[in-house]
Amino acid sequence: MKTILAVAGVVIKELYRRKDFYVLFIVTMLICLIMASVRIFNDDKIIRYLKELCLLLVWVSSLVIAITTTARQIPAERENRTLLPLLAKPVTRTQLLLGKFLGCWLACGIALVCFYLFFGALAASREHQWPLLNYFQAASLHWFMLGIVIAMVLLGSLVFAAPSSNSTICFVVVGGILLLGRHLDSVALTLPEPVRSVFLIIYYSIPHLEFFDVRDLIIHDWPLIHWGYYGLALIYGIGYMVVFLTGASLVFRRQSVN
Amino acid sequence: MSGPRIQIWFLILLLVVCFALACPLQSRFVAWPGSRANGDVFAITLGESRKLFANEFFVKADSYYHSGFYPTIFDDNRAFKTAHMAEDTGAVNSQNHGEEESFMGPPRNWIDAFGRHFMPDRHTHLDEGGASGDLSGSEGVREILPWLKLSADLDPQNVQNYIVTAYWLRQRMHQPKTAQEVLLEGLHENPGSCDILFELGRLYAESDHDTNRAVNVWMAGLHNWRPVKGTEDEVAANNFIYEKLATQMGAEQADVGNWQAAIQWFEKAKAVSKTPDGLQQMIELLQQHHSIKPKP
Amino acid sequence: MAAILKAENLRVEFRSREAAQGTKVALRGLNLEVNAGEVFGYLGPNGAGKTTTMNVLLGFVQPTSGAASLFGIDVRQPIARQRIGYLPELTYYYKFLSAEELLRFYSTLFGLSRLEADRRIDELLKLVELEHARKRPIRTYSKGMQQRAGLAQALINNPDLLVLDEPTSGLDPLGRMKVRQIIQRLKGEGKTVFFSSHELGEVETVCDRVGIIHQGELKVVGPISEIRQPRHANLEQAFLEIIGFETQSAS
Ligand SMILES: Nc1ncnc2c1ncn2[C@@H]1O[C@H](COP(=O)(O)OP(=O)(O)OP(=O)(O)O)[C@@H](O)[C@H]1O
Ligand SMILES: [Mg+2]
Repeated sequence: MKTILAVAGVVIKELYRRKDFYVLFIVTMLICLIMASVRIFNDDKIIRYLKELCLLLVWVSSLVIAITTTARQIPAERENRTLLPLLAKPVTRTQLLLGKFLGCWLACGIALVCFYLFFGALAASREHQWPLLNYFQAASLHWFMLGIVIAMVLLGSLVFAAPSSNSTICFVVVGGILLLGRHLDSVALTLPEPVRSVFLIIYYSIPHLEFFDVRDLIIHDWPLIHWGYYGLALIYGIGYMVVFLTGASLVFRRQSVN
Repeated sequence: MSGPRIQIWFLILLLVVCFALACPLQSRFVAWPGSRANGDVFAITLGESRKLFANEFFVKADSYYHSGFYPTIFDDNRAFKTAHMAEDTGAVNSQNHGEEESFMGPPRNWIDAFGRHFMPDRHTHLDEGGASGDLSGSEGVREILPWLKLSADLDPQNVQNYIVTAYWLRQRMHQPKTAQEVLLEGLHENPGSCDILFELGRLYAESDHDTNRAVNVWMAGLHNWRPVKGTEDEVAANNFIYEKLATQMGAEQADVGNWQAAIQWFEKAKAVSKTPDGLQQMIELLQQHHSIKPKP
Repeated sequence: MAAILKAENLRVEFRSREAAQGTKVALRGLNLEVNAGEVFGYLGPNGAGKTTTMNVLLGFVQPTSGAASLFGIDVRQPIARQRIGYLPELTYYYKFLSAEELLRFYSTLFGLSRLEADRRIDELLKLVELEHARKRPIRTYSKGMQQRAGLAQALINNPDLLVLDEPTSGLDPLGRMKVRQIIQRLKGEGKTVFFSSHELGEVETVCDRVGIIHQGELKVVGPISEIRQPRHANLEQAFLEIIGFETQSAS
């Protein structure tokens, strides 16, 4: 465990010593503040469009951070040959992967906390309320979704050689699941047979990231999600993380590093 | 020490030259007939495709009206063909039928069933308190305005935008002045539009209590009205606004005791109406009234 | 004496798309033993298979056939690496960390306590003369400084066996001398050192035994005197002859 945490620590250190995160955060803040300054029919209580915009930016930024950082981890270790001195220590490859995963996940968690604090402040500045539990549910579900994405990208970074192609593929897959995942079965029913089965298999095997996207509930002040279903969603997320990490570990164990 | 300083001065000089060049170029560019710069920022960036976006944002506003409980293209959206926020203004011909609550149908499988716990799940309207059901929050309907504004900016020819915006500004947010500005702007973009004139008349009558002005506006609307040849829906929408205008005129005439004129207007409305029964009753009622108290 | 590093019949084939000719055999049935307490010099021309041998010993590359062990433990088990220190050739480290942070990170991997790590880090930074730069990110280091940071990293767990791949490459003559001194000191402490090099002079001064590898085959193993004596007076000429290069003086 200590080993995994040490590896994770290096990942987090790298992230906050690079400037990507700050740039994304400041850009998000600037865009939101500019949008907030637009007066619509002289009514300064209009907030939901701003909440939606801010959450959209937070989602995009968090996905960018999660995917680009994770996709870089193992290839950079290979390219810079830091993998060699690292694996020459009593570290298993599975531990290394877990450390990388945990590092990226925690780093994204820190980023999310910053983003959601800003979001909460922005919303509270007009609504004068802090639905803390709702924000907690939204942020934690978001974080678990990022966990699945990170595990998936980590597996991808071992399968695809180039980090850029891995990032692109992951962006397309994640975006596709978020936008279409819920309807893949309906789409399948409109298709002829061999393709239909393929679509259905995809539908039943992909991680349904859209469960974790509860932005609509936050924007429109819906009541809390039932805690039982919330817990089930977290377990569902962990399940997929384990699946992807196991896959990654199996792939990594067979690869030679030199 | 002098090296970097010279470079900085050089950069500043270059910037100044660029700005100086930009001024004459800008005026030339604007004068050039093929320039898109004559339109607004959306016209420049999006060109003709902005109508598509405009429609998208109009739908977005309606989805806000429902606090996000809204069908996608994969759901059964027969009950949402006409935006409810427009339908509720009473100024738009509704084509909705079917169930409003169950557009998603029964859960198709466990994934679908589970996913529904993470989505808005009740049919509500913002002017009735929205998702929280708090009726004192009926001003919450303000949240649809940004999208309507955006939609109107993208497609100024869509008259529904102005009507819906003005109606809610007036009805729930108690801003008749702003509503009037919106309608006048709409009228500026769409001269003589019967739909906008109808809503403008209602605003004069209901908010300003200026019946004369309202009648004038409605008369202008009726004057501008032409039968259209097109799809069934287009004809229906066109007839609907005529019916509305004529009914309003009839009601105004009835109010001031012009029974004969009122009946005439109601007859005209009935001629184009899809639901003439109500109007027929109204006419009969007036006729009875009329026979009891014949005009001197 | 006990062999603490052992390779038996190692064969390594690379089946990569880059190798257009099909498979590339890097090691052909290599047998090697390094005993406790000795300094072993591993020599061979470029591409002979020195780095590949070390990669197998550290578990980076799976041998096609054969077995390798450290301290009698199969190299595939991570515990085999608990008591070794390794310096890769062409060292690069996390550029955004400082030497101190780097060493602290590696010390955690060995499970060193904080106190012990502090002591060890101070000691090593002094040893490799990086004390003045301990807080600077490695990005700002010169090549020689990076190489010295690598050496410090290899020594962090006070290892009993050191595997060094060309430890003196990129160092100036003074730096080389210092590395030689460090190796000799470690030998004095009873450690085992297994290192590859192209510097025959330095091999001659510090090594107890030498192995010469050529085209994936170990040609000779033995004390320097044994290798030198039957043929020539000088290690360089012996080396060249073993790898099949006819020197002018010989012909
Ligand atoms: N991943 C790989 N794929 C294909 N061939 C490889 C790979 N790694 C090494 N080789 C080949 O194996 C042989 C041995 O390489 P190795 O790196 O062990 O040489 P070396 O003795 O360390 O040389 P040098 O003194 O230049 O460091 C070389 O011919 C090399 O091309
Ligand atoms: Mg080598």
